[in-house]
Amino acid sequence: MSGFAAVYRREMLSLWVTPLAWVLLVVFLLLQGTIFYSIVVHFTSLADLAVETGPIEAYFGQESVFLLMTLLLVCPALTMRTFAEERRSGTIETLLTAPVTPAGIVLGKYLAVLTTYAAMWAPTVLYVVVLRKTGSIDWHTVGSSYLGLLGVGAAYLALGTLMSSMSKSQLIALLLAIFAEFGLFVLGVGEYVFEPGLVHDVCAHLSIGSQMEEMSRGIVDLRRIVFDGSIAITSLFVTSRVVDSWRWG
Amino acid sequence: MIEARHVSKDYGSVVAVRDVSFDVAKGEIVGFLGPNGAGKTTTLRMLAGFLGATSGSVKIHGHDIATESLEARAKLGYMPEAAPLYPELRVREYLAFRAALKRVPGRERKAAVERSLEQAAVKDVAETPIGQLSKGYRQRVALADALVSNPPLLILDEPTAGLDPNQIVEVRKLVRELGQSHTILLSTHILPEVEAVCERALVIAGGGLVAEGTIAELKARKRGRETRVTVRGDAEKLCAALRELAGVKDVRASALAGATDVVELVLETLPDADADTTLERCVAALVAAGAGVRQVSPARASLEAVFAELTQVEAPKEGDA
Repeated sequence: MSGFAAVYRREMLSLWVTPLAWVLLVVFLLLQGTIFYSIVVHFTSLADLAVETGPIEAYFGQESVFLLMTLLLVCPALTMRTFAEERRSGTIETLLTAPVTPAGIVLGKYLAVLTTYAAMWAPTVLYVVVLRKTGSIDWHTVGSSYLGLLGVGAAYLALGTLMSSMSKSQLIALLLAIFAEFGLFVLGVGEYVFEPGLVHDVCAHLSIGSQMEEMSRGIVDLRRIVFDGSIAITSLFVTSRVVDSWRWG
Repeated sequence: MIEARHVSKDYGSVVAVRDVSFDVAKGEIVGFLGPNGAGKTTTLRMLAGFLGATSGSVKIHGHDIATESLEARAKLGYMPEAAPLYPELRVREYLAFRAALKRVPGRERKAAVERSLEQAAVKDVAETPIGQLSKGYRQRVALADALVSNPPLLILDEPTAGLDPNQIVEVRKLVRELGQSHTILLSTHILPEVEAVCERALVIAGGGLVAEGTIAELKARKRGRETRVTVRGDAEKLCAALRELAGVKDVRASALAGATDVVELVLETLPDADADTTLERCVAALVAAGAGVRQVSPARASLEAVFAELTQVEAPKEGDA
């Protein structure tokens, strides 16, 4: 764990003094704003307002496919440079000759992108605050929705960090991460493709869409959290082994 | 300070470094000399813990770089060849990051950064983003990075590469100053650099250590092979007479300024011949040929000549890295 705090601070600094985080933030908020606006407009046009769900549940839940699509773009872009850039520019040599452990480096970098991811979501709380004027808000379902998003982000960003350690090229890292994260997303779609049976059940368990739908209704299933956590921990463990292996390359 | 024992590194079938052993004692400035591609960088990377040795062991300040890696790395400041830095950070930010990474305690960090800024003479660019700095400044920022935790050992990989002559002089001066308080191992392929700053040199060629010793010792390796003889007489005739003798490899004659009948002969003996008896026979032959022998002195070899000889004789056959 040695070096964690220093790596975390450096990574945050580098993310936010370069345009990358800001560009991603702008694109992300534009997309989220458009999606949320469309959903709200759709609900105002409904004749029967006595429906079970409101726009907030729809945004985080049954319409979450839009939101997840933006994550498939934003998360790989956030993680692509973590290791690829260090190896391309050679700074990995100064990093690994300092008294730091691979685990410290990997965790420092990972938590920096996870913090940035959380910071990107922070302004969206305003959507809920704005809608509060038009009706009552269930803050518990809002909380569990954000927990679900944190889980998805934790898994996606860990996968992206692993992919960044696989290549010296940021572009290759980006494409590998999109491929891996899109693959995970598509597995979940299998829930709607296959007939009820074993494959259907497996897909339903792996479905990030279903995870968001449950979470948006306030259902916090520990199995979902364990699933996200296992992807994150496995990816980060493999990443730290990859970093260690460069010594023998 | 450094104990390298039978260190080898191979990449698959390509041997980059083979069986290198040496010591660097506390307080020494040692030059690590070799032509490009001889294995200098690979060896330094193994010493710094960036690469693992295929076999052999390295101890830094008594800590094994493989088994007590963190302790060993905490004792050294390493400056890689291309001086890689983060272009988006300011110099002071970068050094603060490096100080934290190298476990300089929080309250001493600021002072450590200031000290390294001053030592490497980069204080005037402390607030400049690294990406805007010239090559010379970047090189010195990398040096400041190596110094920031005030480690007892500095390993510098080609610290003067890519600098202009004035900057080279400055960096050499800096290295000499640092040598008073640090142990330094620096690699270079520039010979005057070793003569200018180092007390001792290790010569590597084709992945193996071919010579080791003080600069004077290395130069002495060449002595006895070449002798200068100043004679009065017909140069052509004397040269012809000497070439017939056993043990003589070659004779060159050059006229001395301001003298018409006095020439200087440079006598080269064969490597396997006994230099002393060959010289006796040569002088006897010169006298017999009617020459007036005025001066006999061993030619002082330049480090270049020693270097060329060492690295060519031991050069690898299969052109490996």
